[in-house]
Amino acid sequence: MKLKSIFTTASLSFASFSYAQEAPLQISGSVDTYYKYDFSKQPNIGTSFGSDQNSISLGMIDLALKKTTGKASFVGELSFGPRGQYQSLINGDGTDDNSFHIQNLYAAYAFTDKFTVTAGYMGTFIGYEVISPTGNYNYSTSYLFTSGPFQNAGVKGSYAFSSKVSLMLGLFNDWNVYKDLNGVSHVGGQLTVSPVEGWTAYLNVLSGKSAGAVGTGTILDLTTAYQVTEKVKLGLNAADYTVTHDGGGYTGAALYAQNAFSTAFSLGLRGEYFNWKGTGEDSDEHITALTLSANVKSGGLTFIPEVRFDDGSTPMFVNKNLNPSKNASQFSLAVVYAF
Amino acid sequence: MKLAVIGLFSFIGMAGVFAQELKEKQKSEQKEISGLENNRKEKLSAPMKTEEELPLDDRGKYIYYEVVSRKGKTKEELIKAAKRYFKSDSSPKISLVEKDSLYTGKGKLIINKSAFLLTRPSGEVRYQLYLDFKEGKYRFWLTDFSFIPYQRDRYGNFVPTTAIGIPLEQKPGKLNAVEWASYLKATAKEAQVFAANLKQGMLAGTAIIQPAAKAIPVQSTKNQKW
Repeated sequence: MKLKSIFTTASLSFASFSYAQEAPLQISGSVDTYYKYDFSKQPNIGTSFGSDQNSISLGMIDLALKKTTGKASFVGELSFGPRGQYQSLINGDGTDDNSFHIQNLYAAYAFTDKFTVTAGYMGTFIGYEVISPTGNYNYSTSYLFTSGPFQNAGVKGSYAFSSKVSLMLGLFNDWNVYKDLNGVSHVGGQLTVSPVEGWTAYLNVLSGKSAGAVGTGTILDLTTAYQVTEKVKLGLNAADYTVTHDGGGYTGAALYAQNAFSTAFSLGLRGEYFNWKGTGEDSDEHITALTLSANVKSGGLTFIPEVRFDDGSTPMFVNKNLNPSKNASQFSLAVVYAF
Repeated sequence: MKLAVIGLFSFIGMAGVFAQELKEKQKSEQKEISGLENNRKEKLSAPMKTEEELPLDDRGKYIYYEVVSRKGKTKEELIKAAKRYFKSDSSPKISLVEKDSLYTGKGKLIINKSAFLLTRPSGEVRYQLYLDFKEGKYRFWLTDFSFIPYQRDRYGNFVPTTAIGIPLEQKPGKLNAVEWASYLKATAKEAQVFAANLKQGMLAGTAIIQPAAKAIPVQSTKNQKW
């Protein structure tokens, strides 16, 4: 009898809670794990994530919440694990008694159908690749991704002139920080153009002087993707980053080509050229990287077998005998589950 | 010795009872099995529930088709009602185009994954809408369904992964068969919701009329006869 009344009370509470909800809370996320083997038996290639040599290692568990009530919405995204902590977040390793796990934390208000203001800590608007493994085709990341910003805290306004053109302007903190030590120091913008269905291009700019930097850093970035056919997709990311007063920077371009042989199997190739700008007496160094990945999908699960070859202008890697080498190559197998 | 004989008889008797019970149990199980078989046969011979899955048209494409009788309404009145409905805020964003007295438009159905109180969009199904009008009746159908999966973007929002959808008729292969079957079911369900809203909107001539909010009862303290 007691059990019955508890059950009835729980059912009523559940019903009233369901009734009170305007739009359901969205919960989504992903988990990822990987194995990597570098053929020189050293963890050579220094791009983000997938760094452990000959080890079945963790990526992260990522949990995102989203709620929309009328014109207002919020997103909170937390990540746990190397990829989502010390490999992508400042202070994420807890070495300074400070362990953050936040990838996104912002609120937005749509004043009209065309104009939205967003404030908080957001995934960066710069670049093609993202931190979440579900957002990338290749498991290993590009040099452009690793060298660019990961997140930008700030406030931004987006205006859609039409379904084909929109503009975002915003004020931001230094790259990847929750609070800005030298004040809100960066200004950024994004022009989005969608000339035809399936083709979208983003022209991005972010400029400002970070705390402790020798000069003002400005990044100009073009990110575009075109779904050529049902099976073929092309993408391009080109960027230039320059810090004034001989503060260095980089220039690079990455081309992405993918072909879906079926809904379950596709192949994708990424070719990248990346140049580090020299400072002082140091000259530029560049690298060319080729990454071939397959995506095998079953429901929310994706297997990503991948081979990668990097070729540098100078000996920036090591070989089996730990001697300097211009080349590095690796194989990896990643498992990503999105929910 | 006496006790041993009584024990032996008791054992034989109990064994007999057990054997009898076992026989009866086996019989009843056989009955149940044959009953289940009969039920299964009945179910198999029954027509498929159309609300669970969409039928195919003569081109081999999935279709949702319905004819609606509106006696007393002229063709022009029905066309006006449809135009009003699709211009209203609560209708799907579809711009109708007239072609050879047939009205067409493109729309999308959002497919959600739900569990308990939580839900998230897993993709969208794009479709072609056809509307045809006559005196006192109209018909409409949704077809050319294609699925576009969603993925979470860098800001945590679900967005289409591609601009070109996969036709729902396409065989997904073993790896994605279960997921695909769920999309088919969800499409059928969402098409029914679309149809119900359209018919309601056509009845009202405008957007769907939301039920009026229940008035809050007023409790007066001025009554002296308490």
